[in-house]
Amino acid sequence: MRTFKTYDKGDVLPEDYKKALINLMCFQADSEYAGGQRVAENHRYATRPEEAYRLSKKVFEEMGHAFYVWNLLQELGVDVDARLYELSHNPENPDPRKVNVINGFRKENWSKFFECWEDVALFSTVVTPAAVAFLGQYRECSYLPWARVNVRIHKEEYGHLAFGVWASKRCIEFGGEKTREFMQQRIPKFMQMGLGFYGRPSAGGEKSQMFDIYYEYGIKVKKPEELQTEYLELLDSRLKEIGLIMPAGVEADYDMRMGYEAEEPVVA
Amino acid sequence: MPGSPQNLIDGGIAELKRFGYAPFGDAAPDWAGMWLLLRGDFATLRRTHVPTYAEMSPWPQEGARIYMRRRLLADRLFEECQVLYRRLHGEGINTELVEAYSLARDAYEEAVLDFGKAREMLEDVFTSTVDLVSASRA
Repeated sequence: MRTFKTYDKGDVLPEDYKKALINLMCFQADSEYAGGQRVAENHRYATRPEEAYRLSKKVFEEMGHAFYVWNLLQELGVDVDARLYELSHNPENPDPRKVNVINGFRKENWSKFFECWEDVALFSTVVTPAAVAFLGQYRECSYLPWARVNVRIHKEEYGHLAFGVWASKRCIEFGGEKTREFMQQRIPKFMQMGLGFYGRPSAGGEKSQMFDIYYEYGIKVKKPEELQTEYLELLDSRLKEIGLIMPAGVEADYDMRMGYEAEEPVVA
Repeated sequence: MPGSPQNLIDGGIAELKRFGYAPFGDAAPDWAGMWLLLRGDFATLRRTHVPTYAEMSPWPQEGARIYMRRRLLADRLFEECQVLYRRLHGEGINTELVEAYSLARDAYEEAVLDFGKAREMLEDVFTSTVDLVSASRA
């Protein structure tokens, strides 16, 4: 079990630690909000009322996750209302000098993934387990206020995964074997995103420049390899539950995960 | 054209209107009209014709009203979320509003899940009534 120094609300944070912490927290909050905007755009694919209502619930929850984290960032001296303004007023092309959004949640990248309601169902089934694993690690991180908030977020992310399983089952229930095969073929494109979600391996020539710093500080508590194992176990169990099969040989798309500044600290 | 927080709300409302969402008002519920927009959720390969509200006997009609009332309650809680969402954008992020929004979201979630449970209840009623009628006609 790793041990590292922890900090609570009001504690004086070492400058380098604070900088790294703010960077990751901004990345999470900005991306949660942008993710909510993207999910809202998928409403148009909803084929049935309950699907539409459940998706609207998810939109509010993604926004709520951003508000939780921004609220903490405010205490760290970040002008979060400026970030909220930028994202809400420039939803399709927010200024990368002002906010830091995961590439997969930028409109031009996101839109390519979705053509039908089955895609919406699969996103929550195949990509969300990566968010569950990745964000789940922050529950044990060294900055305790953020850890506590991520306990709440993690619970709702699990709910989003349940939504994906429910929606996928409904697609197959109404569309039969033809739909099951259609969905099976679409798993790899989402799995690429899911595999890239937690970043490049912690060792080797392509390793993230920032990972060691985050890991040393206990801001990130798990290595990408550990998160990948968690992700694949979770994904496999949910796909089996639906009657789908986890495809072999899918490679991570790390470009969908990276922030605008490739994980380098950004403007706070 | 620049976006605004309201755009997201308007977009969500427009999509829910496809299934009968209407802002809170004094008018009595138009059960028959609302049912027309919702009954598609009960179409299956076996049940290609879902009855209109007027075609239903009292048993499924009561089930349909319960289902639609749950939807109306979800709509009201959806509006509560909207109000707090707008306030967070207008007044800025603060703990009081963030936590109020969290409570509103939880209540909306419960209402949406109850709406789903009511759908399952009505599905059972249809299986016991409408499907039997269809089978006897066949």
